[in-house]
Amino acid sequence: MSRFLFPRWSNLLLPTIILAATTIPVYALFFVAYGFSPKTLDVGYQPTQVVPYSHALHAGELGLDCRYCHISVEKAAHASVPATQTCMNCHTLIRPDSPKLAKVKESFTTGLPVQWTRIHKLPEYAYFNHSAHVSRGIGCVSCHGRIDKMEIVYQNSPLSMGWCIECHRNPDVNLRPTSEITNLAFDGTTELSVDERAVLKDKFHIKPSDDCSTCHR
Amino acid sequence: MISLPPRWMLFAGVLATLALAVPPFVIARVRATPDSNRAVHLFFDMDFQPKFRPQSANPLFADGRAQRTAVAGTVARGEAGLDTHLSEGVVGGKWADTLPASMPVTRELLERGQGRFNIYCSACHGYGGYGDGTVNVRAMTLMSSSDGPANGTSWVQAKSLHDPIVRDHAVGMIFNVATNGIRTMSGYGAQIDVADRWAIAAYVKTLQLSQNASMQSVPPELRDRIKKEVK
Repeated sequence: MSRFLFPRWSNLLLPTIILAATTIPVYALFFVAYGFSPKTLDVGYQPTQVVPYSHALHAGELGLDCRYCHISVEKAAHASVPATQTCMNCHTLIRPDSPKLAKVKESFTTGLPVQWTRIHKLPEYAYFNHSAHVSRGIGCVSCHGRIDKMEIVYQNSPLSMGWCIECHRNPDVNLRPTSEITNLAFDGTTELSVDERAVLKDKFHIKPSDDCSTCHR
Repeated sequence: MISLPPRWMLFAGVLATLALAVPPFVIARVRATPDSNRAVHLFFDMDFQPKFRPQSANPLFADGRAQRTAVAGTVARGEAGLDTHLSEGVVGGKWADTLPASMPVTRELLERGQGRFNIYCSACHGYGGYGDGTVNVRAMTLMSSSDGPANGTSWVQAKSLHDPIVRDHAVGMIFNVATNGIRTMSGYGAQIDVADRWAIAAYVKTLQLSQNASMQSVPPELRDRIKKEVK
């Protein structure tokens, strides 16, 4: 009866195990950080809406100001989705029989709201205020991206806490004059000098806090 | 010489290493493509709470709205419309020629009016008020489509605010048109605050003056500059 002997190649096992034990944790760390980041999970959420409304046409080609529809954005925490009447300002006369407008017309006759699917959603323990940002030099594009180029709107930013705080700690790069708030093509980093942005920061009294209670209360 | 393990083991090892490269590719692809599904929530924490937020849904009500509309016939404080000058632009049964006393005409007011005009009115009337806004241009194109007006379009050319008839309107009437609409134009009373509608009306009068001004209305000390700069 011959005795069992480890084959010679088993000498390779030890270096292989050491290699695996050092690389696999790094790999796992990378996998979680990259794969579970809000930039992977949340950015790019693009639900199909009940009305195939195109921001690219209305805000882009026609150049309607964001505030024509989202009327509460300068006054309230919530940037309102427009009333059906706002659609009908034009669409009683423009393409009223279009099948794409069926749900809007239905809402207009029944008085029941159009059921849009919400895209940008913060956790409900975070209290974001649109008016506080919009009236003090943070434009729509900083968070929502080039909505005027989106045929169907998708989430452009991670809306994660780290992303919020990044700007709260260095708001200068996102500042713009109030006249350019809804101008999505305006880029403060190229069109304003560092000094001009510092003047804006002074003018708007921007001292963003990164205390917990700023957003969580 | 190093002796190698059996072939199948080497093969399995290479395969396992290659498999590690797959997740990064999948993640990169997920990042680059839009998705119609919201991210799966593994940890709910308190992301969703049993409270109602603006414009959210509440199945308890027949219309599904969490935000309730005012009960028919109720009047909010300050919205009784007792001051017809402020709420309708009417003084003593006639269109008001002035802004309400609470709103002195200042540079700030006119600039506010200009800003609001550019948001709400310029879509049809154009930034200069000539009735050449982008919506109007597009709608007129639809009207002249060779197959007839598309999808029942029945647009009427937006009014130029410099039309002699419109130019003669009192500021109170312009306020009223902005509020309640006229002919095919919808009213903007629900979309624009009363103060902003007055600011718009004041700006429209300013715009009309600016486009129909004579040299006599320019202060003498500025006339030379106008002659130099305006060709």
